[in-house]
Amino acid sequence: MTEGRLTNKFRRGVLWVALSLILLLIFLSIYGAFLGAERAKNFFNSLPLAVYWTALTALLIVGVVMFHRLVRVPALLLIHVGCILILAGSICGSQAGHKLQKKLFGIDKIPTGQMLIYQGEQENRVVLDGAKQIGELPFYVRLTDFRVEYYKPDYLQIQSGQGKNWRIPVEIGREIPLGEDVGTIKVVRQFESFKIKVEDGKNVPFDDPNSAPNPALEVEIRSPDGKAATRYVFERFPGHTRPEDKLRLRYQRIISDYVSELQILRNNEVVAEKDIEVNRPLYFGGYHFYQHSYDADAGKYTVLMVVSDTGLNLVYAGYLMLCTGALWHFWLKHLYGAVTLRHVNGD
Amino acid sequence: MEIKYTIQGLLIYAAIATYLSAFITTFLRRERVGNFLYLLGFIAAVLAFIYRWYDVRHVPLQNLFEVFLCLGMISYAVSWFCRYTLRAGGYSGDVLIAAIMLVPAGFVFSAEPQRLPPALQSWLFVPHVAVYALSYIFMAKAAFQAIFQLAGRNHKNEEPRLKAGAKPVLSRVEGYLAPRSTWGLPAEEATYRMICIGFPLLTLGLILGSCWGKLAWGDYWGWDPKELWSLASWLVYLGYFHFRYMFGKKYARINSLWAIAGMVFILITLFWVNLSNLFSGLHSYAT
Repeated sequence: MTEGRLTNKFRRGVLWVALSLILLLIFLSIYGAFLGAERAKNFFNSLPLAVYWTALTALLIVGVVMFHRLVRVPALLLIHVGCILILAGSICGSQAGHKLQKKLFGIDKIPTGQMLIYQGEQENRVVLDGAKQIGELPFYVRLTDFRVEYYKPDYLQIQSGQGKNWRIPVEIGREIPLGEDVGTIKVVRQFESFKIKVEDGKNVPFDDPNSAPNPALEVEIRSPDGKAATRYVFERFPGHTRPEDKLRLRYQRIISDYVSELQILRNNEVVAEKDIEVNRPLYFGGYHFYQHSYDADAGKYTVLMVVSDTGLNLVYAGYLMLCTGALWHFWLKHLYGAVTLRHVNGD
Repeated sequence: MEIKYTIQGLLIYAAIATYLSAFITTFLRRERVGNFLYLLGFIAAVLAFIYRWYDVRHVPLQNLFEVFLCLGMISYAVSWFCRYTLRAGGYSGDVLIAAIMLVPAGFVFSAEPQRLPPALQSWLFVPHVAVYALSYIFMAKAAFQAIFQLAGRNHKNEEPRLKAGAKPVLSRVEGYLAPRSTWGLPAEEATYRMICIGFPLLTLGLILGSCWGKLAWGDYWGWDPKELWSLASWLVYLGYFHFRYMFGKKYARINSLWAIAGMVFILITLFWVNLSNLFSGLHSYAT
């Protein structure tokens, strides 16, 4: 009897601690939100927080052992074990987890970092996150091509001195009326890499496929009195106008995707290849490769984010268990109850 | 404040007006008319949503304008589900919630169509946002019931008056236009039932977002302000369940306070994080 009372008291204590840890995590999350992502990441990976995560994991394990209800009700067990797996997977995947893995099992993996690769070149060096060190992958990654894709059509934005605005799709040769007081506008030519050369003392614009991208439009503006003027609108230099211009023009292209065509090489042989995009990373040798950044000026290189998969399967298994448990406990159980009740009532 | 002089805007205003008319007529105990107006408002909201979908050529859940349009539409379906499946009504409150949900879409946020940026071009985009939107409606209804509980008025939940001997499904359809009698499901219990439905959705939304983050940004948890606020919201409901498990209905008012706090956190996640410069982060495109 006394032992039972003691156990109940202990269980009550565990619940109070659980509630306190939940409340503490709520306050920590709010505090972290004010820090911004980068500082919050450091904060939640700091030593005091490592103690918190360990305590939370230990409490969940104690809860599963102490509360028979959690074992008797499979859905609740799934929820709690799911949380344990998520926390365990996160701990394994952290920098400290990688260090421990190296110490215990001799597995040396780069937790996370970035690699810069020029078009046509191969690379295996990774700049590690959080440390000014270089790590090396056991294979090479080659960038065969990098490109930025755009939605069609492109747009020309026009603003008159009176504050009127137009946004028209770029269509070569089509004359668009802008009202009696402004006149008409027509896109004459489109450039991918705008350049100027001097011929017979005149400036002549041309498209140079060998130079860095400089998208531009040649636009003809015809005023109501019939006078025509040619202007060049540059995507990268918005607001490029002359003092006498009555219209402010802006060339707008909307990015639809970034694509890096990658090959994985081992002993100079291609063992895998994939065109990676945002939302479509490459997975090879225990690492995920993500499109992270690129050479915005010349489009000659790409920056990949390299992330180790250590602990990831544990996290995903935890997610699956947590979701299944929550849906089972809160929905299916009641649905099943309602159906059996209806059956008993003879409906 | 932005008034929209477009077909899209007119449909939204029509939905708001009919929802408000439904609320007033229900308040004046003209429930049959109220039901009919509520249905009309829902149809206008559905039309506005479909029109937007056609206009932007992707499921319109990209920004706050589109999310609130969706919330104003689905609140009718949630209300229907709560009345007939959970037996937890608060009908007049539902109509008001639906109208309030459409106000930001009608008057606050810009309806300028936007192309999907690369990060949003994922199969997880629609389920992640849709599941969250659904959970938010359930949690809003739960908070509404909790306020009633705190105010000391045990809000009577309504059920349609059924004809004797009528088959359940047929009766339910008839129930739409029938005047309703009241039957008592305590507000605390109604709050619990709605949170029970909303919490798995909230969990699913959080997990789908995490899986999407892994695909798009390389990490399943980026410690972004919006992620942290959504985690805090989820934790408040987790606290609610633990507290209710410990004390049952002994401290019913504290149970209700948990439910209201959860809704406050959801509102902060939805509005403040998206709008305030204080919390700029990976989710800032959703403004």
